[in-house]
Amino acid sequence: MTAVSFPARTRAAMLARCFAVQGSFNYRTLIGAGFAFVMLPALRHAFRDRPAELDEAVRRHQEPFNSHPYLVGIAAGAVARLEAEGAPPNVLDRFKGGLRGSLGSLGDALFWAGLRPACMLLALATFALGAPAWAAALAFLLPYNAIHVAARAWGLHLGFRYGAGVASGLRSAPLGRAGLMAARSGAFLLGVLIPLVAAGALSGGVPLLAAPLVLVAAVLGLVVGPVVRGPVTIGLALLLVAGLLVWALS
Amino acid sequence: MNWAVVAVVGGTVGLDATSFPQVMISRPFVAATLTGWALGDPASGAMLGALHEVFNLAVLPVGASRYPEAGTAAVAATAGLLAAPVSWATVLVTLAFALGWERIAGATVVGFRRGIEPLLATAAGEPLPTPRLERRHGLAILLDFLRAAAVSTAGAGLATVLVTALASRVALTPTVIGTAIAVAAAAALGGTMRVFGGWTDQRRAFLIGAALACLFLVLR
Repeated sequence: MTAVSFPARTRAAMLARCFAVQGSFNYRTLIGAGFAFVMLPALRHAFRDRPAELDEAVRRHQEPFNSHPYLVGIAAGAVARLEAEGAPPNVLDRFKGGLRGSLGSLGDALFWAGLRPACMLLALATFALGAPAWAAALAFLLPYNAIHVAARAWGLHLGFRYGAGVASGLRSAPLGRAGLMAARSGAFLLGVLIPLVAAGALSGGVPLLAAPLVLVAAVLGLVVGPVVRGPVTIGLALLLVAGLLVWALS
Repeated sequence: MNWAVVAVVGGTVGLDATSFPQVMISRPFVAATLTGWALGDPASGAMLGALHEVFNLAVLPVGASRYPEAGTAAVAATAGLLAAPVSWATVLVTLAFALGWERIAGATVVGFRRGIEPLLATAAGEPLPTPRLERRHGLAILLDFLRAAAVSTAGAGLATVLVTALASRVALTPTVIGTAIAVAAAAALGGTMRVFGGWTDQRRAFLIGAALACLFLVLR
C-alpha cells in the first residue's frame, strides 16, 4: 500500500479536516475525537464494505492523543496507511504513542515559538514604520499562512508516503534548520522593532527622556524574560488606579 | 455599537484560536484590526491591537497548557475603545481591560473544554460510533463559536461601561500615559527574546536588526 492507494478526494478530505482537528479539544482525550474525525475519510476508504470494522477503528482512534495541530497530518497519514495495510490495533497504539510527544514538541518549537512570533514582529515593524493597518495585518497573515498551510499538506503527504517509517522521513526533513531560521529572524525583527518603539514614543509627543527609559525597559525585559509580563501588566493597572485617585482627590 | 458585528467577529476569532481553522486571525493585532475595520476605525483598532499583541508574543499554547484567550479580549477591548473618542486615557483603560479580560476569557476556554467531555462519549462513557462522532465534533465547534461570541459581547459591554465611566476621570497627562505604555511595551518586547533562544544564542541577529533600525531612523 502506498500513498496513491488512497484516492485524491480522500486525501483532500483529510487535509480539510486537519484544520478542525482541535474542534473538540478536551482534557480527557485531548484531540482524540478530532484525530478520529480527521481519520474518517481514510477509514471509510480502507474499511469500505466492512462497517463493523470501520466502527471499531473509529472508536479506537478516539483514545487520548495529542499533537501539534499543524503536524497532525503526519500522524494521520501514517496511521491511515498502516490501517490500510492491516496493522494490528496494538501496533497502531504504540505507533501513535511514539509520535505523540515528538510531533508536539517539534511543532511547538517550529510554529508557536518560531514562525508565529517572527511573522508577527514583521507585521508590528511594518505598522511601526507607518504602513496602513490592513497592510500590516497582511504582513503577518500571508507569510504565516503560506508556510502553515504548506506544512499541513506536506505533513499529510509525508505520513502517507512513509507510513511506519515516518520518523525517518521526519529526520531527513530540514525542520530543525527551519526552526533555527525562524528564531534568528524573530531575534532580528525584535532588534528592529525596539528602536522603532522608542522613536515612535518620541514622535508621539512623549518627551526626549522617554527614549532612554524605553531602552532601559527593553534591556530589563531581555534580562528578565517573559515573566516581565506580569509586573508590567500590574504596573499599567496601578497607573490607571493612580490616575483615578488623583482625579478623586483633586 | 453594532453588537451583532461584535458577536460574529468575536465568535469567529475565538473559534480560530483553537477549534477552526487556526489561521491566526485570533492574534490580538489581527483581531483588533478586524474589529476596528468592522466598526469603522481599523487604524485605532490596530494601534490597540499592536500594544496588546506585544504582551502576548511570548505566551505559547504549548501542549494542553492553560493560557489567556487574547483574541476575544482584543475584540472586546477594541469595541470599548471605539465607543468613545480615542485618546491616551481610553487606550490605557482598554489595554488594562484587555490584559484582564483575556484571563477571564481563558477561564471560559478551560470550562468549555471540561464541559464538552460528556459530549464526546456515549452515556456509558464509551467512544462514540461513527455518525455521532462527526455530529458531536461539529456541535463542539458550534458551541465554541457561541462561547466566544458571548465572551466578546459581554466583554465589549463591560469595556464600553469602563471607558465611558473612567477615561474622562484619569487625571494623567497624555505624556505620562504615553511614556508608561511605551516603557511597558518595550519591557514586554524585550521579554520575548527568550522565546527565540535568549540573548546568548541570538544576540548577533538582534544587534544587527537594532543597528539597521537605528541607521534607518538616522537617515530618515
